Amino acid sequence: MDCKFVPSVCSYCGCGCGVLFEVIDGKINSTIPLKSHPVNHGQLCIKGWNLHEYINSFMRLKTPLIKENGSFQRATWDEAIGHTASEFKRIKKEFGPDSIGVLVSAKITNEENYLAQKFTRAVIGTNNVDHCARL
Amino acid sequence: MDTIKQIEQLILQNKVDIFLGYKDLDGHLIPHGFTKENLDELKDLQISDNRYSLEKVATHLTEKNPDIKIGIIARDCNKRALNLLYTWNQLNPENIETIDVNCCPSPLKSHSDCSYLEPRQSGEFKKENGVDYNIEPEAFMGKFDNNERLTRWMYEFNKCIKCYGCRNICPVCFCKECSLEHPNLVEPGTLPVEVPIFHLIRAAHMAGRCIDCGLCEEACPAHIPLRLLYREVNEIVSNVFDYKPGCSDEKSPFSVLGGDVVLEPKPMDFKYKEKNNGL
Amino acid sequence: MTVKRIAFVQELLKFIGLEGRLHLEWISSAEAQKFVEVVTNFTEKIRAMGPNPLGIETVANGAMKYGHN
Repeated sequence: MDCKFVPSVCSYCGCGCGVLFEVIDGKINSTIPLKSHPVNHGQLCIKGWNLHEYINSFMRLKTPLIKENGSFQRATWDEAIGHTASEFKRIKKEFGPDSIGVLVSAKITNEENYLAQKFTRAVIGTNNVDHCARL
Repeated sequence: MDTIKQIEQLILQNKVDIFLGYKDLDGHLIPHGFTKENLDELKDLQISDNRYSLEKVATHLTEKNPDIKIGIIARDCNKRALNLLYTWNQLNPENIETIDVNCCPSPLKSHSDCSYLEPRQSGEFKKENGVDYNIEPEAFMGKFDNNERLTRWMYEFNKCIKCYGCRNICPVCFCKECSLEHPNLVEPGTLPVEVPIFHLIRAAHMAGRCIDCGLCEEACPAHIPLRLLYREVNEIVSNVFDYKPGCSDEKSPFSVLGGDVVLEPKPMDFKYKEKNNGL
Repeated sequence: MTVKRIAFVQELLKFIGLEGRLHLEWISSAEAQKFVEVVTNFTEKIRAMGPNPLGIETVANGAMKYGHN
């Protein structure tokens, strides 16, 4: 059995409290605050205490899904990406680039967030990009 | 350091499968599990000033593998927590090895390793309107009358943000279905939390369990003096039931249904008759 | 077990400042007279003590006075 603690930063709001993930046999088991962190000094709010819940949640998607006739059907990655790209092109042509908005998330990495906003600004050509932690 | 040699011996002689200690990572001392595979990391082992709840990690490991042998760095408060977990059947004393480390300073020890030696100072506003961190329970009872005590505690409890930090970090809290999440006792999804029932439920559950480590107060973002409240709970249990959690092998008085009960219900006191002048 | 718990909670409430509002009495269903006496006495005692200071107004006043929302 293997047990180690990995320090990280809470992904929810903009405060950035330090957390420690308790990793047992390669799987995250629980979250505790990092006592020597300058921002939170060992205290967390309820969102920070439950960071480990969504990582291994049974509710996470396992395959891409496309909505057909009002219900979601399983699809492959190629189908999903192709469908999304053709829809974006159609909407941008018909209604203009400012009709598309992109909402990024606190639960994805900083690099993915950067990629999403670059995509929105450079490829789609709109400024309508925002983040849940800005609220 | 001698401690490192001792731990190395314990691991190499297979007396423990995993040893829980602290490791330095970029200036932060965090808990770490040392095993045979990563023995070379032992040289980074340090006894940290910051205290983490290693007993809770031990219970998580035991949950997954009941036969695992665990070694722990133990101060006095850790030893009390381990004793208590033995009486509640959460850990097996034959599977746990402890290495004792320094606790509070005394003439016998050269230095101390505890973050609770510098307790938080209460500011002026807190002392005037709320409850001082460092006051003793008897002094608190003697200094203020009923109404004043209530107002001060309500001031403190109203700051609670229901983060469940006190329960999550407590080394002796292990219930799978916590009463604090029961929809009939605590309304789910409401903030602010219903004072004072939330804290009184927790205090009632700490009877016979709290070992006074102080981690709850350190983890509370609203600076509620929880340690004082649970110290009072421990005093009540000690006075009425003559039981000190973690200091012996007996089971808590609240865990035994029936049994010999020598308490009698208290009679009602009729002070009101004097107030109403016998009307 | 009940006696243990009630004794403990009475002391805890005293510490918080809600003294004397909890009482335990063992009464059989055949002792109707005793039941009436105990309930009347307790009601009078609580009436003399006044309403529970944790009424909604007190909590709201306390919160407003100390600046919480």
